Amino acid sequence: MKILPRTMEEAQEQEAAELLERRASRLREQGETTVEEAVHWIAEFPLGEERYALSLEMLRAALPLKMVTPVPLSAPHVVGVLRFQGQVVSALSLASMLGGHGWRQDPAVLLVVDRGDGELCALDCEAIPRPTTLPMSAVETARTRAEGPVMEVFTQDRQLIHLIDLKRLFAMRATGGRNAR
Amino acid sequence: MPVDPMLQGLVAGFAVEAQEVIQKVTMDLLELEREGLEPAALTRLYVRLGRHLHTLKGSAASLGLQDLGDIAHKLEDALAPLKANPQKMPRPVVDVLLHGLDLFMLRAQAHADGRGDALPDPAAALAQLVADGPAPESVATRVPPPQAPAATAGHVPEPVEEATLASEAAALLAQESLPESADAGWRVSVRQVTALMREVERLREVRLRVEERGRELERVVGVLAKQGLLAETAEARTLLAGTGRLLRTDGEETSDIVDALEEGLKAITTRPVRTILDPLQRMVRDLSRQLGKEARLSVVGSELSLDRRLLEKLQGALVHLLRNAVDHGLEMPSERERAGKHHEGALTLRVEQQGNLLFLECSDDGAGIDLARVRKVAESRGVVTSDEVSRFNENQIRDLIFRPGFSTRTDVTDTSGRGVGLDAVRASVEAMQGRIEVNSTPGQGTRFVMTLPVDLGSSPVLVVRALEQLVGLPMLAVEATQLARADSLRIGKRKAHLEYQGQLLPVVDVGARLGLRALAPPAEGQPLLIVQSGGKRVALGVDAVVGDRDLVIRPLPSEVRDVPAWQGAATLSRGELLLICRPDWLVTESGQLTVAAQRRALVVDDSLTARALHRAMLEAGGFSVHLAASGARALERLATDTYDVVICDLDMEEMDGTQLIARLRAKPETATLPVILVSAHDSAPARERGLAAGADGYLSKRECAAGRLLAEVLDVMSRRGGRA
Repeated sequence: MKILPRTMEEAQEQEAAELLERRASRLREQGETTVEEAVHWIAEFPLGEERYALSLEMLRAALPLKMVTPVPLSAPHVVGVLRFQGQVVSALSLASMLGGHGWRQDPAVLLVVDRGDGELCALDCEAIPRPTTLPMSAVETARTRAEGPVMEVFTQDRQLIHLIDLKRLFAMRATGGRNAR
Repeated sequence: MPVDPMLQGLVAGFAVEAQEVIQKVTMDLLELEREGLEPAALTRLYVRLGRHLHTLKGSAASLGLQDLGDIAHKLEDALAPLKANPQKMPRPVVDVLLHGLDLFMLRAQAHADGRGDALPDPAAALAQLVADGPAPESVATRVPPPQAPAATAGHVPEPVEEATLASEAAALLAQESLPESADAGWRVSVRQVTALMREVERLREVRLRVEERGRELERVVGVLAKQGLLAETAEARTLLAGTGRLLRTDGEETSDIVDALEEGLKAITTRPVRTILDPLQRMVRDLSRQLGKEARLSVVGSELSLDRRLLEKLQGALVHLLRNAVDHGLEMPSERERAGKHHEGALTLRVEQQGNLLFLECSDDGAGIDLARVRKVAESRGVVTSDEVSRFNENQIRDLIFRPGFSTRTDVTDTSGRGVGLDAVRASVEAMQGRIEVNSTPGQGTRFVMTLPVDLGSSPVLVVRALEQLVGLPMLAVEATQLARADSLRIGKRKAHLEYQGQLLPVVDVGARLGLRALAPPAEGQPLLIVQSGGKRVALGVDAVVGDRDLVIRPLPSEVRDVPAWQGAATLSRGELLLICRPDWLVTESGQLTVAAQRRALVVDDSLTARALHRAMLEAGGFSVHLAASGARALERLATDTYDVVICDLDMEEMDGTQLIARLRAKPETATLPVILVSAHDSAPARERGLAAGADGYLSKRECAAGRLLAEVLDVMSRRGGRA
């Protein structure tokens, strides 16, 4: 039997997809196994000049940013739509939703997240986020202080992380809030 | 009393059957009540009616449901004098029969639910039924028997007619008495069927991918033939060509299987719309009688089959809209006549499916919505403040009828006045991810239009291209395709029209309509599609017709669901999504001419997200923004459109930012066009290289992220003397 070799591009794409999938599942597993510790697992990434994060439990997958179909006449924060596990989901510009102006590099990754209402959407991101933890007490304190969807939490080494509450973020957009910050 | 489970199961089955038979009887009664039926039609209806009542009686008796047998018997008695002498059925007789059927059904349902023993003695109800009905003699003598047609000599019409009818009845009965095993089936859950549907959809996508693989194989054969290695690759090419042929055959067979599976699933999961529309005839009749009005309901599109779950959800909304139309919309007969209308009000239900969108229209020819009254009532009921309503336009005032707590009734009746209704209709439509709109003309009537997504099976879609964007159009909306010819176009200052079948149709450029480029008249030879929706037609200019596909259209996610241009998305062979355009949106007038004076920017970037971000910032700054994914596309755009500024990525494949600037500076018409380069490189040499290439400004992504883009754009335009 003769087998056609994969092209370089195909091989790279597949390897990248497998790597992303392995990382996403590792992140999910870590989040599940450390609930009893007084830490909050997050997926951390840079946005502009600052560090942002999402709750790891809201992350469903990290995908390469491709196969996104632009949607003419949609809202400015909508990058397009894509197919994820048989359903049509929106790809949204996180920077735009947070009232930012851009990334330092062009985003290469889409983070598929639960919006907090059961619906999935994809958020663009410069790179695959880094899994890390925040002290649960710091998160809770920030949560009570924050009015909007972005909580300012300090890590143990006094680094500031903007933790995004997706449920609040999407609820606010639904009620007409434009910029989340 | 213990109940035999088997008997209980039979009774439950009988109740379902009885419901269907009673529905048929009801439709026949409403038909018999109308004027102007031919004698033969009358006779046929009476025979069918008698047969159905007899079926009810026989089935009830066979299950030992004596009370139901007695009711059916009384109904047969009421029908007998008329059956012997077919004529238009007097209204009191229709009332008695309908009332009797209601009684029958209520008791049948009680038996099915195991509440048969608790039912009251039917004797009183039966006595009342008989008392309500006109005396048989009076019915029989009210209308003289129809004249027998002139018989030829020696011909005796009556027995022949009876014999014919008897044989027809026997034939119909024979049809009904087919062995049950033919229709016997299984009970399956919605989840199981839905899962199966998803698998069929996946199979259809696999089929599309197989098609794509076949095309790839053909390309491989083509490449091998071009290598100058014809002799060496001859065997491989022959093998590949053979595999390609087999793949095509397999693909076609798969396609047939998918079609068959989909048809089978549709048959299982759908039922005709008439199953929910027919019972509404009775409701309209009863309600209009109760209110002293006259109304006739016409239904268009009832043969369409839809998802059973959707139909169940729709039923309540339709009932409410029709009750509303009879109660609030239609005037009293005398009032209608004074207004020059027919004394009988016309209600119309129209059902139409286009792609994955269902349009349900409920209209009446009544008095229309009194906006002054709506406004007054909304204020008095605290639905809206007088300050708020003073800023409302007519459409917004009309929409107040959908607000909770709104009703123009001053008294609460069985029909309406509780302020709960249209808001519930809107809530149920929105729960189905649909929308409802209302139009009304004073003195002429009101029209409610519900638009709902239907998620079932594939539908034919025509794929077209506008610039780089592929767009799907439901094939049902496309009447014809032709190429633009100067002699059939009428090009004015603001609009172009196409002469088509003796009519002038407005030409709509799909690229401009979608905000992808500026409006321009169609070029010679450009494909024009005649698109129709809701009685309106336009000639749609596209860049290319890609072809037709059978696609499963899925609903859009919430962030883009309300964009009126799109009705859904379908998966193409490589897994990418195709947006499906709404024909009703295409045929409506757009306001794009009003933005002609806006400043215009062209964003050139091979990153989708960077394009989206720049667009967001520039639109927020009042720019009209067009996008290009490469330098080549940008040059194409600049050849036909004019822009005030270009924002261009430095690092792009094929043609980078500096190369694009060089091309622009070489042309007189773009030599002075302000161009800003954007790059991830933040170094001084990179900046110098960009500016030396002829850029008017240079921004790093870091500076863009810090919000510098708009200020830089305005600054550059100001320096170039543009409309900053």
